[in-house]
Amino acid sequence: MDFFNKLKDNPFYSRWFKAPYSYVTGAILLSLLQIAILATTGNPWGVSGAFANWGAWLFQLIGGSVDNWYYFSSPGAQATLEGGFLNNGASLLNLGIIFGALASSLLASQLKIKKIKSIRQIVAAVLGGLLMGYGARIAFGCNIGALYGGIVSLSFSGWVFAFFMFFGAVVGSKLLVKYFM
Amino acid sequence: MAKEVILDCMGEACPIPLVKAENSLKELEVGDVLVVQVDHSCAMKNVPEWARKEGHFVDIEEVDDGEWEIIIEKAK
Repeated sequence: MDFFNKLKDNPFYSRWFKAPYSYVTGAILLSLLQIAILATTGNPWGVSGAFANWGAWLFQLIGGSVDNWYYFSSPGAQATLEGGFLNNGASLLNLGIIFGALASSLLASQLKIKKIKSIRQIVAAVLGGLLMGYGARIAFGCNIGALYGGIVSLSFSGWVFAFFMFFGAVVGSKLLVKYFM
Repeated sequence: MAKEVILDCMGEACPIPLVKAENSLKELEVGDVLVVQVDHSCAMKNVPEWARKEGHFVDIEEVDDGEWEIIIEKAK
């Protein structure tokens, strides 16, 4: 107990684990780590693509088949699905993000199970998730794979994505203020 | 007589606490205090940042694990 009380007042503990980092620090860390991902896996960092595979595996678990789906028809996509979860780097990365986020809030002693405030919150979360997931798949990437990965690969498509995402965010914010305030 | 207003933003994700804080502070007089209760760590960053940029006095208190009160005194 004494140890934890001392730890709480330790300036290094507060600076490294508790206080929020600046946006610049975050940007530099993200850039360095995504270089590590590109160097070790050979692919730029992506998040939402793996979720499509998670969906396919779940569907297969309950007896479904995605063999005839256009999205999974390429030999590459079939090989990924056959390789399974543990051979899919992007899936493991996503797992790492989830557990990393959990670890960081535990280390900061800020973990809290939040109450759902209203039905509206559930509706908005489900609708928003569906729209984002659908959009990310037909765009072949989300704000990580298409935007971040695109821009750091010096691809013009990343900037096009950024431009239209900005307008999407404006519309989204207007809807948020209109229906949630 | 300065008054103190409590704004309950528990369970609200960004940017709702920020927009709510902006709207409530508009209704207050100089010297009044707005206490924004949040449990979303990103609100603990962007609400004080906005209030300080606007020139108000800001204090953050961690009231429980993952719960904060952002105390804003309207300065102008």
